[in-house]
Amino acid sequence: MIAIWYAVVSFMLIIYVVLDGRNFGAGMLQWFVAKTPEERRQVIAAIGPLWTWHEVWLLGFGGTLMAIFPRLMASAFAGYYLALFLILWCLILRGVSIEVGGHINDRLWQGYWDFNFVLSNLLLAILFGAAAGNVARGVPVDAQGNFSMAFFTDFNVRGHVGLLDWYTVSIAILAVVMLAAHGATYLTLKTEGPVHDRCEIWAKYLWVAVVPLLAVVLIESRIVRPDLPGRALFNPFWWIGLIVIAASAFTLLTGLTSGRELRAFVGSSFLIVGLLATGAAAIFPVMLLSTLAPENSLTAYAVASSSTTLIRASFWWPIGFGLAVFYFVFISRRYAGKVSVRRDTQGFY
Amino acid sequence: MNSIFNDPGFWHRLQFGFTIVYHYLFPQLTMGLAWFIVYWKWRALRTGDDKYNQAVRFWAKIFGLNFAVGVVTGIPMEFQFGTNWADFSKYAGGVIGQTLAMEGMFAFFLESAFVGALIWGEKRLGPRGHFAAAIAVALGSWLSGYFILVTNSFMQHPVGYQIEANGSLGIASMSAYLLNPWAFVQFAHNQLAAVVTGAFVVTAIGAFYALRGLHPVQARLYLREGTFVGLIASLLVAFPTGDQQAKIVGNHQPITLAAMEGKFEGGSMAGVALIGQPNVAAQRLDNPIEVPGALSFLAYGHFGSFVHGLNDFPKDQWPDNLELLYYSFHIMITLGTLFIVLMGFATLQNWRGKLESSRLLLWVLLLAFPYPYIANTLGWMTAEFGRQPWLIYGLFHTRDGYSKVVSNGDAIFTLIGFTGLYFVIGLLFLGLTGREIGKGPKEPAVATIISEPEREAMLV
Repeated sequence: MIAIWYAVVSFMLIIYVVLDGRNFGAGMLQWFVAKTPEERRQVIAAIGPLWTWHEVWLLGFGGTLMAIFPRLMASAFAGYYLALFLILWCLILRGVSIEVGGHINDRLWQGYWDFNFVLSNLLLAILFGAAAGNVARGVPVDAQGNFSMAFFTDFNVRGHVGLLDWYTVSIAILAVVMLAAHGATYLTLKTEGPVHDRCEIWAKYLWVAVVPLLAVVLIESRIVRPDLPGRALFNPFWWIGLIVIAASAFTLLTGLTSGRELRAFVGSSFLIVGLLATGAAAIFPVMLLSTLAPENSLTAYAVASSSTTLIRASFWWPIGFGLAVFYFVFISRRYAGKVSVRRDTQGFY
Repeated sequence: MNSIFNDPGFWHRLQFGFTIVYHYLFPQLTMGLAWFIVYWKWRALRTGDDKYNQAVRFWAKIFGLNFAVGVVTGIPMEFQFGTNWADFSKYAGGVIGQTLAMEGMFAFFLESAFVGALIWGEKRLGPRGHFAAAIAVALGSWLSGYFILVTNSFMQHPVGYQIEANGSLGIASMSAYLLNPWAFVQFAHNQLAAVVTGAFVVTAIGAFYALRGLHPVQARLYLREGTFVGLIASLLVAFPTGDQQAKIVGNHQPITLAAMEGKFEGGSMAGVALIGQPNVAAQRLDNPIEVPGALSFLAYGHFGSFVHGLNDFPKDQWPDNLELLYYSFHIMITLGTLFIVLMGFATLQNWRGKLESSRLLLWVLLLAFPYPYIANTLGWMTAEFGRQPWLIYGLFHTRDGYSKVVSNGDAIFTLIGFTGLYFVIGLLFLGLTGREIGKGPKEPAVATIISEPEREAMLV
């Protein structure tokens, strides 16, 4: 039961990262792939009218985490206090720059909001990447299950660690490059004209850059967490994750080389799903590793709600999920196809 | 050294209070406007009269701006349960996390999937699809209200829970939790109050255009329907929903009722103070003008009913800010009464055909729109200050709930950050809303002259 809920909660976060990750990626590339104001609005139109829908996955994740693993939610959110507020403020800035930019047809106004848009997306990719690095490395959880930490300490990965060290920074860099590649792949699919042509080139270079970075992070992970994969070898999800990685890497590669844009985007999305799922399966059941003492670590079993509460939640969650998928399928068909500058600019109205 | 800087609980409360009050300025309008938009779209489908479609397009833009600010200011709310109220989340997360997650899964997915379609998708969806999108958005926004009110009702009147082996709370009965009687009363009262806000804003813009002599057809529509809906909703907010709300408080939180009314001594024939200032040090209401027996009657149904005073309870169970609670409640009631009078008079004048010619009344209707926001905010302050000193009434103290690991300075820092950020957002919101109001609803005559691609760019 707890393992299933661990999978569900991870799944919600992974969906969020894949969906909004493409927005982060597309957003931070906006300056590079779109030169004229019209082209820049095209990038925003590609992120489109569903960005709030993507953010709901983050909200759904937060609420579900609170219901199922309340003690983890409390420790982690309070422990990451300032970092989390940076994420929230960047999300606010990103949302405002999407909504506000198109309202006034003025170059200076739009340039200013485009700047905020690019910056907030870049920061979000860095922050989420560093957060993932922190979960993988562990945080200084004390005997009461609490922690608080500085932005950085001595950049070492053991003991009293900070939010940033050489390991979490390298994961943040990987996240930036990979989400940019993901975003470029998405923009290739959704746009036409010069933006499309530039994105096609960017996507190829960025995905090539992902390969060595990913290799470095894997080697680093082996040093930081020598205990992994360990138990994960017996976890079917870990193996499924590996298969997804292999299959989606192949799909992505063939999609990119043959110019089949949808295929490349599906491959890129599932590659991120596979990587994150493998990571989530590898660390299970430890949700927050303590860098101070292993016995302080918060495991899914220790932080979960009671089984009666989990059973109650199992009734409504699948219904909510089914409805969410239904709305998405219904509405995304209406937005299918490439965005057109004339029809979908989401501005100048 | 004992100053507020050493009292972290204060800063966590202030930050949550500030961010939630600010956030709720936007959803109250979207929840109120949503059904106006549904109604106009329905009228457009039924009558084929383009004025209704113009109204939908115009108000969908205003809705969109409010929705966007509501989203960006709403996301921090859920996360603050963990960041600022970690000990509360540890204790009650298994219960309240359920409805917070449901809000996302059932309400926000629905609302956010269709809101883009409502604002930009008229062409892509066609008239029926556009109508369906309006309904989906309205349902989503009201559902999210319900889940939040269930969460709040659990804090006011906990039901359906059990205490687990580790001392935290879990769900014993999901139906008891979701069907909390407190939530029904609060939902009815709160949603109607949101409709009051929506109606006042619709009326105010109608009055603005009428005073300016702009968009006469639209102005008439907004004035006629805004004042009528405003009257009905204002009446229903007071009775039966406000009355029921007071009764449920009287039954389950008698200390709160005494504090709301500034009643220090209990007794039968308890009155309602029309005017008076609570003097906590002297434990009396200064210069009161009371309607005798009114409180006994309103809360318990008989003029002779006994109403508890604050002195019947130990002082550590009193709400910790009596004056603010008292003023919040009384100003809310006063404003609610004035809303009925104003909208009643405006409806009467409209019926007599004199609404649009009375510039004075139009000015009053224009300037009245901020007051429902104030009344809504004060209503929530009454609910939340009245709940003190409890975070979950009778179960869990507010002072036990905040994050002990978060330092004071961090909480003050983020509060200042929110203040600055929300100030800028407020300016942007007002500026852009003002622009949209200035542009106004599109007249059909204009739309037929311009070329097709231009028209498309305008409408989409």
